[in-house]
Amino acid sequence: MVTDQEKMAFDKVVRSHVYDYVMREGLPPTIVETSSALSRLSDDVRTSFQRLADGHILVLQKGSGEVLMANPFSAVPTPFFVKAGGRSYYGNCIWDAMGIPAMLKQDATIEASCGCCSTAMNLRITNGSLEEACGIAHFAIPAAHWWDDIVFN
Amino acid sequence: MLLFWSEEHVEKWCKDWNLSRGEVIPLDKCCHLAQAWYGPDRREPEWRRRTIDEAQALFAELGFTSEFWRLSS
Repeated sequence: MVTDQEKMAFDKVVRSHVYDYVMREGLPPTIVETSSALSRLSDDVRTSFQRLADGHILVLQKGSGEVLMANPFSAVPTPFFVKAGGRSYYGNCIWDAMGIPAMLKQDATIEASCGCCSTAMNLRITNGSLEEACGIAHFAIPAAHWWDDIVFN
Repeated sequence: MLLFWSEEHVEKWCKDWNLSRGEVIPLDKCCHLAQAWYGPDRREPEWRRRTIDEAQALFAELGFTSEFWRLSS
């Protein structure tokens, strides 16, 4: 029987692998990839992903149980395309797009667009600071309710 | 959390989606928030999610002190 302590220890390994993978590859690993990399059963990884999602550390795709978001990274294309360190990534929102260079400790270019009119808005982050840019960020949902519907948020 | 050209574009978006206006922040302030929030290395075993109190303290430190940023209801 697997103890809670063993589950927590495994979840740390899974979380570390997910972030290591997405930072290197640009997209989060699948259940199969994680299972292979950690030499564990797919079902073990699937249930670990679910526990990490319950703890608001990952967001999963409905149905498949695959990673949708390993914040700040998105597993699917979004309007927040980030280029850093010779790789490309998708952020979940403008906050997350700016969080990608913070997590990578790299300079980055963010190719985004206005949420209203879709006009291109490119931003550059150098040494952790935003270079002069037009625009504003709008947070639609109060902080206490962000996890009510994190995908919309 | 979306990016907009201006307040006018936020207002139009809110009207089009029938949503109330939320909180608008300058992009440099958003960048400071992102740097602080996502700076810790999530690959590290000792990393853990911030508690509500820790997240609230971080918001306060960065100047996000209005009711909008209150995490506990």
